[in-house]
Amino acid sequence: MATLQLLDIAKHFGKGVWGVKKLDLEVEDKEFLVLLGPSGCGKTTAMRMIAGLEDVTRGTILLSGRDITDVAPRNRNVSMVFQNYAVWPHMTVYDNIAFSLKLKKMPGAEIKQRVQETADMVKIGGLLGRHPGQLSGGQQQRVAVARALAVKPELFLFDEPLSNLDAKLRVIMRTEMKDIHQKTEATSIFVTHDQSEAMSMADRVVIMKDGGIIQIGTPDDVYSRSTDMFVAGFIGTPPTNFFNVVCSYNDQKIELKHSDFVLPLDSANFAELKEYNGKNLVLGVRAEDIKVVPESKAVFKEKILVIEPQGSHQIVAFNLEGAMYKISVPAEIEMRVGGDIGLDFNMDRLSFFNKETENRILLKSEVSN
Amino acid sequence: MDRVLKRNLNRSARYTALYIIVIGIAFIIIFPIFFLVSFSFMSDYETFSEWPKPIVPSFRADFMIDKDAEGYHLYIYNKSEKEFVNFGPLSFTNNENDLASLQKFIRKYSNCAISTDKLREYLKGVDNQGEATFQLKKKILDNYVLFFDITRDAPAAFIRSILVACLTIVISLTIGGMAGYAFARYMFKGKNLLKLSVLFVRMFPAVSLAVPMVIILANMGLADQPLGLSLVYSVGQISLNIWVTASVFMSIPVSYEEASEIFGTSKIGAFWHITLPLALPGLAACAMYSFIGSWNEVISAVVLTQFNPTFPVVVYKSLVGSQGQINLITAGSLVQALPAIIFTLIIRKYILQMWGGVRV
Repeated sequence: MATLQLLDIAKHFGKGVWGVKKLDLEVEDKEFLVLLGPSGCGKTTAMRMIAGLEDVTRGTILLSGRDITDVAPRNRNVSMVFQNYAVWPHMTVYDNIAFSLKLKKMPGAEIKQRVQETADMVKIGGLLGRHPGQLSGGQQQRVAVARALAVKPELFLFDEPLSNLDAKLRVIMRTEMKDIHQKTEATSIFVTHDQSEAMSMADRVVIMKDGGIIQIGTPDDVYSRSTDMFVAGFIGTPPTNFFNVVCSYNDQKIELKHSDFVLPLDSANFAELKEYNGKNLVLGVRAEDIKVVPESKAVFKEKILVIEPQGSHQIVAFNLEGAMYKISVPAEIEMRVGGDIGLDFNMDRLSFFNKETENRILLKSEVSN
Repeated sequence: MDRVLKRNLNRSARYTALYIIVIGIAFIIIFPIFFLVSFSFMSDYETFSEWPKPIVPSFRADFMIDKDAEGYHLYIYNKSEKEFVNFGPLSFTNNENDLASLQKFIRKYSNCAISTDKLREYLKGVDNQGEATFQLKKKILDNYVLFFDITRDAPAAFIRSILVACLTIVISLTIGGMAGYAFARYMFKGKNLLKLSVLFVRMFPAVSLAVPMVIILANMGLADQPLGLSLVYSVGQISLNIWVTASVFMSIPVSYEEASEIFGTSKIGAFWHITLPLALPGLAACAMYSFIGSWNEVISAVVLTQFNPTFPVVVYKSLVGSQGQINLITAGSLVQALPAIIFTLIIRKYILQMWGGVRV
């Protein structure tokens, strides 16, 4: 049983530079929480404060109710996997994994058993006698994970552990780490800047920017109900398409006017937009929520600029007002570059953002979800 | 098939040429050292009276004695002339005094020992047969024994020198290593300026600093003492060690120490368990430089020592006073070079140490 609470955590690096401005967060038992954000957003600083590698300027850290704010890292009962593996090169794999157990004066037989157990779990059981220099990057990362597992800590910290691996291995390790988490059920915090990694691994995603939290939610929450344009643009490949539109409310009809198209909306479902009559809005639509339809039924037509086949589907790009838009189209539909396609929106999955604040305009239909 | 053969021949020719050149270069480098070693085993006679000089020292010397009206004559076989030539006094008789001085002469100039009784025996043979030849075994290490014999303070100076070198290693590596770690790991104001300024002490020639150093050491009560000398050597070594260890520590990722802190050690424990073993090759290199620098230093040592000279000073003085006895000088030089070579060979293991094929 381990829960983590961050109460109003902040980190000041001096000279007005804030690593983390304000962080309130609660991690539940057995949860796999991902801190996601662009570089420099403070996610790694936050993790290092939890690990005790960085002092806290303000705030309290509670691990299972115990205040660990000023406790030395070795007494916090947390494990960490580092971005550059940080597997000690002068020790064998066995010694690396057994390091903390030896320091805890665990009996020799028990150490041996524990090391073998954890090594088998991450599939490096046969490499115990080797030195890290003789291992590949992926194997070194497995050693780092095994070393963290062997301690049986209350809390696991992963600091961008997969970013040094090649693309294919990264996807494999992703799955394996999720599997390991499901087996061990250890509370984990995972830092990454790769949104697809975050989406595929997380129970909950914490999206950070400029030292603060922008949104906390399940992968589905942050994907489908992004709290602002930053999140909508950050999450998803390709990211959300943004259309600058003007909202008009006339004769009980809501219409979104874009320079290239006019989109009539059902006034019952989108009642909240009434108050934006005559104002600028941003319409956010996910790549897969723009459908290809016969030109007669289309809301607007566009010329295809680029086609990127992905096997299962294809990404089609077109230009509109100088901005690039990308949509995801089933692979069966035949298209050619330069040809016109008719497009329509999936009305159930539209997002609206305030042009000035860039915040999401909440619709009633979403709130009930 | 022909083409393959031609290509192989071509390649063989190229490699042969390359190796001939390489061996030539190696020969040029190694020959002076070989010359030094070879000469240190030669007798006075070999080094001065044979031309061209022998490549390798001989282990034996051939002598001949004959007799005419003036008395007995001693000859030694000269290898370059390929004949017996005059050796020692023009003539001598078989009285006790003459034989004793002859024995000494043989000992001094050919490094061979012979008893007067034996000499008398050979003289009897000459009396009977007109001449006698005999072969004597050369005392091969005679030059070394002689070197330590004539420089009375050499053994003490040798030990003193080792003591100075070890003290220099300890002082310069402790202070330099700690400073290097601070430079590598911590950010502070004026860091770069400070790091550069430690090199200033190396800009002055040792001689110019030696005299003020004598006064300072005298005031400290450390003049003419190994500790005082090692302090002077440490000044220069510390700055070098700071630079070397700083780059060594910088090459060890901080995350190694952080991982250690998380997995059960304190900050100091992380240094002992992780950083120190990883930095060992670099520290060993520092120790080697400190040792060699201190061991070979002669200019400051001449000024700073009086009654307790270091070994290089002894060698230097014997070199000045040896009147060109090249075989003695080479022996002294080799004794001087040997500890540095041995120390380097021992420490080489750590410098070349690699973990799992990856250099850190």
